[in-house]
Amino acid sequence: MAINVIMPKLGMAMKEGTVSVWNKKVGDSVQKGELIASINSEKIEKEIESPGEGVLLEIAVEEGQGVPPGTPIAYIGQPNETIVKKEAREEAAASISAEPKRQNPEIKRQEKADSPATLPAAVEKVRISPVARKMAAQANLDIQNLTGTGPGGRITKEDVQKALETKSQISRQEPAVLTQYESPALTEQPSRPLSGMRKVIAERMHRSLLNTAQLTINMKADITELKTLQAQSAQSVQRRIGAKLTLTDFIARAVVLSLQEHPVMNSTLLENSIRESENVHLGMAVALENGLVVPVIKHAESLSLSQLSAAIRTVADRAREGKLSSEEMKGSTFTVTNLGAYGVEHFTPILNPPESGILGIGATEDQPVYKGEQLERRTILPLSLTFDHRIVDGAPAAAFLKTIKQYLEDPFAILV
Amino acid sequence: METIAVIGGGPAGYVAAITAAQQGKEVILIDQAALGGTCLNKGCMPTKTLLQSAEVLGKIQHAEEFGVSVSSAEPVINWEKVQQRKNSIKDQLVSGIQYLMKKNQVTVISGNARFLTANTLRIDENSGSERFIDFESCIIAAGAEPAELPFAQFDGEWLLHSGQAMELKTIPKTLLIVGGGVIGCEFASIYSRFGTKVTMIEMADQLLPGEDTDIAAVLEERLRTDGVEVHTSASLKKLEAHTKTAIYEVDGQRVDMSPEKVLVSVGRKPRVTGLGLDDIGIVTEKARIQANEYMQTNLPHIFAAGDVTGGIQLAHVAFHEGKVAALNACGRNRKVNYKAAPRCIYTSPEIASVGLTQRQAEQQYGDVLTGEFSFGANGKALILNEPFGKVKVVIDPQYNEVLGISIVGPRATELIGQGTLMLHGELTVDVLEDFIAAHPTLSEAISEAIASTVGQAVHA
Repeated sequence: MAINVIMPKLGMAMKEGTVSVWNKKVGDSVQKGELIASINSEKIEKEIESPGEGVLLEIAVEEGQGVPPGTPIAYIGQPNETIVKKEAREEAAASISAEPKRQNPEIKRQEKADSPATLPAAVEKVRISPVARKMAAQANLDIQNLTGTGPGGRITKEDVQKALETKSQISRQEPAVLTQYESPALTEQPSRPLSGMRKVIAERMHRSLLNTAQLTINMKADITELKTLQAQSAQSVQRRIGAKLTLTDFIARAVVLSLQEHPVMNSTLLENSIRESENVHLGMAVALENGLVVPVIKHAESLSLSQLSAAIRTVADRAREGKLSSEEMKGSTFTVTNLGAYGVEHFTPILNPPESGILGIGATEDQPVYKGEQLERRTILPLSLTFDHRIVDGAPAAAFLKTIKQYLEDPFAILV
Repeated sequence: METIAVIGGGPAGYVAAITAAQQGKEVILIDQAALGGTCLNKGCMPTKTLLQSAEVLGKIQHAEEFGVSVSSAEPVINWEKVQQRKNSIKDQLVSGIQYLMKKNQVTVISGNARFLTANTLRIDENSGSERFIDFESCIIAAGAEPAELPFAQFDGEWLLHSGQAMELKTIPKTLLIVGGGVIGCEFASIYSRFGTKVTMIEMADQLLPGEDTDIAAVLEERLRTDGVEVHTSASLKKLEAHTKTAIYEVDGQRVDMSPEKVLVSVGRKPRVTGLGLDDIGIVTEKARIQANEYMQTNLPHIFAAGDVTGGIQLAHVAFHEGKVAALNACGRNRKVNYKAAPRCIYTSPEIASVGLTQRQAEQQYGDVLTGEFSFGANGKALILNEPFGKVKVVIDPQYNEVLGISIVGPRATELIGQGTLMLHGELTVDVLEDFIAAHPTLSEAISEAIASTVGQAVHA
């Protein structure tokens, strides 16, 4: 009987996976364990190994097409074999239902280890009726975004129906708007589907701008002394920990210390309640060739500067290699993003919901600065803080940014 | 303190009063008769008491089948005692409501209320005096009364409404029931088992026109077995009180009869007259008060709940509406939800349903899946000597949501609670897959019917 190749479930939250490339054509023979395709989901790219030996009988999911995990994407068997798809579907269904069971104990343990106020636990629990859950899943509707009107805020069938109506109204309107601005030349250009990581980024960023009251304030920090400290200590640091402390490491540490002094900036807004997290789970945005990921350094407040530095290096490497698990990208309470390498000064980072703040780091520049009556050459670092005005007002946000500035300008405070 | 006036002390009214009082309002409740409304005094409770007496009689009559021999020749109905029992249960329940009113500090006034202005009620007290009550909000829960045929007025002697039919001095030899709805069927069940020769006529082509044909058919068959003459697609031609003559037509045949009593049960009409609704501009439509999903009339501070709105005329729906109305009158923002309101018919066998009937589901969803399980295959029903009827479950084919459950058979009105829970929770069949029903119980029939919607019943 034909073996079916199934879209794997990469993490609990995965709703859809897209086949990015097929390495084989129908009729090609494949070995067990051979890499036959690569798929991408949200923020992960993964190679698919052939589950058995034989001939690729059928490709059920074409490149660029997204399907829910558990869906058969191809069939492998003997040449001229007929494919019994009904059974394949059942097996697939069984494998989906089996998956969460296996994962459950592990996740529970993780939740216990985290403080109860941390994000993953809060996000997982959505009160929703069984039929509403099914309807949302079939319509590919993110239940995290739905507002429940049932008892205790439970999401009901009616809520999903309403959301679907709104969605179809929006999608009905869209084509009209597009055709209005679409030039004939543009339609002839090749297009690529919005899928995988791009789709996730598109949805999250759009949702962030739609659902929050975010604004950005700017400040400049004089990091001349920090640079000096970094240069002077470089050799001994290299000797002791076998690596360099980067400017990012110092900034990350300054952010962690400042968050502990200003816990309101370390809070999340979920379902009409603001939660200040005691722990700092620091998201570090990492640019990739085809997108952007935000690995999370859990309990950053418990790490020393050198430990933090090592943690940042590790997650950044794993991100670039595409090895991050979805668990490693969840639950951040604050995010740092750095465009300094590209020469950007101030910018307006977009919040990573449900967080209340994100700090943008710009490019350092040496500038003449008056120190008393004297002009001095100083290294200036532009800082851009985006915050959610629903949670934090301007003054406390500015005070937080000022604390970061003070740490950066008095680098010994970072070390202590 | 803000004053909320409640007109009517039935299920909608007294629940509204208690709810508003719990929200810290000063509540004044006005009713012209005993608290508890139709439900306690002339409806649900007294009929069920009579039914229970009939039930006991039936049990004794069938005792031999259980291997129990009763020595006396025939069990005898002591009608006076049956009536006494009914009345004492009623009195006990009414005093229970009186206690609740006192406990929640609701002022109860006996009398007739009429709107003088949109913020003032004039009360003609039963004691003869009159008084005026200013209110911030008002909840109208005046209820409904039996509808009359235009050509035949109730006389309380020969031509009866349901309230009168339960107060008869003796058990009639013959009874004609006009209207095969819930009330007609319940009275047919009661009196046929007390030995009355009952004839029923219904205009529609089935009894209980709101329920599915296959469900109503089970009851119809049982009523016939119990000696009731049932005529559907029949039309009443004449009711003449002074000659005690009734004429109806069925299958093109004209039938003359002279029943000892006639019960007319052709529906209940909302009590909208005498309240001064027009004087303050409350909109009524088709002789019922129009209320929105917040139970609000066209005047935002005046609400209506229960039978007076002409919606689903069931006491538990009235409880729900009364509560919703009161919460909204107290500034909350609550909508009514009828999705999981069970419908119970206390006949023999009982019928209970919740959600959509198969007919309604097909209209809304097109093709639906159904699952059935017969009480004939249920062990507990056999033990009870009542292996009649069935459970029917209707689910939608896309998500397999339970859309409706209909039960006809023993204890149907108790069993339906499980269906109500399923509808209320918007459960789907897969969620119920591993549901364990106790054994041996009638409930097993529900689990089996659910399983058979997806072809997985075990004992069918």
